[in-house]
Amino acid sequence: MNVTWYLVLSAFIFAMGAAGVLTRRNPLVVLLCLELMLNAGNLALIAFSRMWGNADGQIFALVVMVVAACEVVVGLGIIVGIFRRRIPEDVDALSELRG
Amino acid sequence: MSATAWGWLVLAFPLAGTVVISLGWRALPGRMAGWLGSGAILAAFVCAVGATVKLQKLAPHARHASSTLFDYAHSAGINIGMSIYVDPLSLFMALVVSGVSFLIHVYSVSYMTSDRGYSRYFAYLNYFVFSMLLLVLAGNIIILIVGWAGVGMASYILISFWYRRTTATAAGMKAFVMNVIGDVALVLAAFLLWRHAGHHVSFNGIFAGSKQAFGTNNGTLIAACLLLTVGAFAKSAQVPLHTWLPDAMEGPTPVSALIHAATMVTAGVYLIARFHPLYELAPTAADITAGFAAFTLFYAATCALAITDLKRIIAYSTISQIGYMMLGVSTGGYDGGLFHLMTHAFFKALLFMGAGSVIGAMAGIQDIDRMGGFRKSMRFTYVTFVVGALALASFPPMSGWFSKDEILGFDVHRGGYYLVLAIIGFAAALITAFYSFRMVFRVFHGAAVPEAQSLERGELAHGEHLNPMTGEHEDTDVGFPGAEHHIAEREWPMKFAMSILAVLAIIGGIVGIPGVTHWLRNFLDPVFADSKFINTQPTDTSSWIGLVVGAGIALAGITIAYVCYIRQPGTTGRIAARVPALQRLFVNRWYWDELYDALFVRPSATLGNFGRYVVERAFVQGTLVGGATRIVGVGTAIARGLENGYIRAYAVLMLLGFGGLGLYFLLQAAF
Amino acid sequence: MTTLLIAAAKAPVIDYKGISPLFAVAGGAVIVLMAALIRGRFAQRVLVPFLTVGALGAAIGLSIWNWHTGDSRPIVEGALAIDPLALGLSLLFYITGLATVAFAWRSRALRESGTGEFFGLMLGSIAGMTILGSAENLITLFVGIELLSIPLYVMCASDVRRETSLESGLKYLVIGSVGSATLLYGLALIYGATGHTGFAEINNAIGNSVNLTDPLLLTGIALAAAGLAFKASVAPFHAWTPDVYEGAPTPVTAFMAVATKTAAFAVILRFFLEALVSAQEQWAPALAALAVITIIVGNVGAIAQNSLKRMLAWSGVAQAGYMLAGVVVGTQLGLQATAFYLAMYLFMNLAAFGVVIARERVSEHGDGLKSLEGLGSASPLLAWPMTIAMLSLAGFPATAGFIGKFYLISAAVDGNWAWLGVMIVVGSMLSLVYYLRVIAVMWMTPLKIELPGRPRRARREVQPVAGWSPEADPRAQPEVLLVTLIMAAATIFFGIVPSPLFHLAHDVGTSISALFS
Repeated sequence: MNVTWYLVLSAFIFAMGAAGVLTRRNPLVVLLCLELMLNAGNLALIAFSRMWGNADGQIFALVVMVVAACEVVVGLGIIVGIFRRRIPEDVDALSELRG
Repeated sequence: MSATAWGWLVLAFPLAGTVVISLGWRALPGRMAGWLGSGAILAAFVCAVGATVKLQKLAPHARHASSTLFDYAHSAGINIGMSIYVDPLSLFMALVVSGVSFLIHVYSVSYMTSDRGYSRYFAYLNYFVFSMLLLVLAGNIIILIVGWAGVGMASYILISFWYRRTTATAAGMKAFVMNVIGDVALVLAAFLLWRHAGHHVSFNGIFAGSKQAFGTNNGTLIAACLLLTVGAFAKSAQVPLHTWLPDAMEGPTPVSALIHAATMVTAGVYLIARFHPLYELAPTAADITAGFAAFTLFYAATCALAITDLKRIIAYSTISQIGYMMLGVSTGGYDGGLFHLMTHAFFKALLFMGAGSVIGAMAGIQDIDRMGGFRKSMRFTYVTFVVGALALASFPPMSGWFSKDEILGFDVHRGGYYLVLAIIGFAAALITAFYSFRMVFRVFHGAAVPEAQSLERGELAHGEHLNPMTGEHEDTDVGFPGAEHHIAEREWPMKFAMSILAVLAIIGGIVGIPGVTHWLRNFLDPVFADSKFINTQPTDTSSWIGLVVGAGIALAGITIAYVCYIRQPGTTGRIAARVPALQRLFVNRWYWDELYDALFVRPSATLGNFGRYVVERAFVQGTLVGGATRIVGVGTAIARGLENGYIRAYAVLMLLGFGGLGLYFLLQAAF
Repeated sequence: MTTLLIAAAKAPVIDYKGISPLFAVAGGAVIVLMAALIRGRFAQRVLVPFLTVGALGAAIGLSIWNWHTGDSRPIVEGALAIDPLALGLSLLFYITGLATVAFAWRSRALRESGTGEFFGLMLGSIAGMTILGSAENLITLFVGIELLSIPLYVMCASDVRRETSLESGLKYLVIGSVGSATLLYGLALIYGATGHTGFAEINNAIGNSVNLTDPLLLTGIALAAAGLAFKASVAPFHAWTPDVYEGAPTPVTAFMAVATKTAAFAVILRFFLEALVSAQEQWAPALAALAVITIIVGNVGAIAQNSLKRMLAWSGVAQAGYMLAGVVVGTQLGLQATAFYLAMYLFMNLAAFGVVIARERVSEHGDGLKSLEGLGSASPLLAWPMTIAMLSLAGFPATAGFIGKFYLISAAVDGNWAWLGVMIVVGSMLSLVYYLRVIAVMWMTPLKIELPGRPRRARREVQPVAGWSPEADPRAQPEVLLVTLIMAAATIFFGIVPSPLFHLAHDVGTSISALFS
């Protein structure tokens, strides 16, 4: 099986996620883009798993999904906390710590 | 308990004393700190006796043991343990050090009473004893260096004990700098030996390795031995590194007695005795050491002739007497050198204590030109001082008579070059006897000065508080000498310490009477069993001839002093007027300080000024430091500028970073 | 029934003795969360911290019980293994955890977030570190990193009513997730290149079935290195460090600064020296470059910082650079030196953070450098530990930091990386600028904040300032003072008698026997 196309797709998704993190200012969208980056990794893992014919990559991908879910939960919790403090939903507004 | 266990206890007590006194000084009432410190040292002495008893039970060749408490540093190629080495030599030193230290502690309990730094003083003093015992008991050269540096520091803080007295702090710094020269030499010597003699740090390892690695008079070994000599000379104040010791008299008098007469300054003698196998393998180095020692003992004796400061006279006498010891141990007369080390510790500590008592009666004045006639008012001090002076002059049957003449007798027996050195020694002995009694006659005889008269009426003089060197007014607050003075006649602890030392100064010679007792030699023999001079001992008859000659010289010196100061006072003034140049030479101590000033201090000062005003300002400050500071400043600005607080900017930085890493790896793949 | 039996037969062999420390902390996390449901002051103030300490103490005891020298012993087949490296560094995590309990006990973050939650998360994070330290497999590596990080994100934001705490939490989360995603992608590529997830198998494959210049493998290494460097705050992946350290509650900062960094180095050591040691010639120059950049950036950034936490964060970046040099060397000596330095790093950093915590609770200047003004005369019991910590971080002789740096430099020189040793020295020189500034502020500024005098002695005049409270006396927070003093004493002790830790480091070095000794 040729994994090249899967890899190209996953690299594309990874780049898309990275670009989103860099350009979007809404923290919710940033979280979404992070999910994209993680899932690009998942796609690559599953493609390689098929290529090598062993299950390691698939198990890895399952674990990553759990982790990604945890991350989103924590991220949303912090965003709710920020929302309650009536700070604008803008990651650039969070730049009090610097220097 | 094994001998080494006793040895560890010897170290533990002074250390505990230091810690307890320095942490608990607030809670210690009155003279408690003093008694606590004395008790710790007494315990150390008892433990040293315990170790000796234990060791003597073994067969002579088995009388050494080492013990390691923990690994001090265990690293690639070097393994240094925190270890002690117990053998007759180290125990001999430990006994002398702790014994004399105990008496001086007791003396200090009274002498320092009114000082505001009373507890601090005893914490320092216990720390000194700990360092000194660590030095002599050290199981390898690294621990020896630790102890060596420790006593250097103790000497510094005790010379500068009255830290608000400008002359005292300057003297402390001088001593420290001179000692550091010695420390550096010692460390270099240790490194040379480690590097070339098979990577050993333990003494026996070094000796065995050196015997294998070096032939006789190997250049590297001579260099190592000469570096050891430099270390020993700096610590023991031998020419040309002696100039700090007279200034060290700025410290309290018991400190002068303990550190700068009886114990620390003899560490150099111990060092050479400890490393005698190396010196025997490199006779050239030993001969050079002996030559300098002979010059020192003569030079210092002449200086003591002309000076009028009581403590400094005794200081020069110390330099001179250590010269005898150095002469002994570097020419192979180890027993004699160490014998003299012991007797000297007794009588010199006694002389300093007597001087302290007199200075107390003079309310701080140290100039013998202003003293006189204390014979009646200070009976006890007079008697003990005379005992000390007789021992110093090596008058029979005092302890100094046996020990000094054992050294000289040995060198006469070796003949040749050593005979010349011995003749210098006999000449200096005449001067020694003369200046010893110069002190006695000028301080205790003659017309009573006002202070002596008031003391006869039962009043202790209360002078103004002046710096004896500069005449500046001082108060009696912290960092200056205490408000009151103390004399032996009125303080039983001072009397106690001086009486015991006086007895020891008289009978100390009993351990080595030629043909009668050879106790000391038998005790030390296991250490020097490998020496090639072990059988080169003068016969008892020739020893006795030497002793008689020595006694004659001492008698002559004392007689001359008697004539000059009692029978025909003013003789010395006439002599000085006849040869003013010689007088000036002696008073100015042969211009050593001036020589150093011209040779080292002034050129470096000039160079320093050049560096400071030209190199430093224009080049270093302006170009180098300024440039470097500016570069760092720009770097800081950049680093902090990138840290702008925006999450997205950080993500960019990260992605750039891993882009760079990826590029690097891919380029590697491509090529 | 049959399927179950087959499943049981196929299940991996688990060494329950070996895994017991992990059970202690993970189980402790659950128990602490449960116990925190009990209402009442006693349960919240005493029981929960006590249980946390108990769990950590048990983990320490179990780790020591498991101690052995030599190669690793699998505990969960192909996933986790224990060896002196894992156990030794685990001990550091647990000790840091204990110190953090003391630091956090009176903190506002604890009141805001709830005792059980705070300590439960901390134990969870420590469990992640334990997994990370003994990971033998790419999957467990990733799980460990995430289990470590996710609770930390929450802990950073645990002072929920303070804006900067939230900001630091979100920043850490976003940047951390970018790092995780990068790491994951890199791990995926390594898996793709070699076909294995086990470290040993990967190492076997590299150079045999996989070419050393395989672009897939090398890109994978690059991405994984970036992800791990992020956790260790190695420049240029350090940008989050100062902000997060400053914003997070100080006990959390102390925990992050020491434990997270140790865990990151644990995994870097294991990953590079176990899985990728065959490709050392490829990665060593890249890591060396990173080390140099990190040393320079960290030291330069720390100059002129006025927040102590920020200064310590930058200094932590620089220290990471020193330790990375030990990894680059890739010898047993380098491994030993890095492990040794991590232990020293714990002592001196916890001492410094203890002082910052004690001062920020009472000073109007918070964690600013000004909060230390006149500390030398006001409370020497705090000023001395800080002085010792600063001198040790700068690498003064007779402190632990000196021995640690010496060890690193000698490892670098020994492994033919002498110029890296020179860089460490240059970095230490630069670092004096900001470390000595702290000491100068403590000892050379006049006393401004007046404190009550000692018992039985005249009380000093008290001039309350804004933010002053009776806690101003360090003895009002004895647990912080105690930890600080212990850490400072250890810094001095191991600076003078380093040999016990030398022996431990030597044992740690035996963990990876394949290395050139």
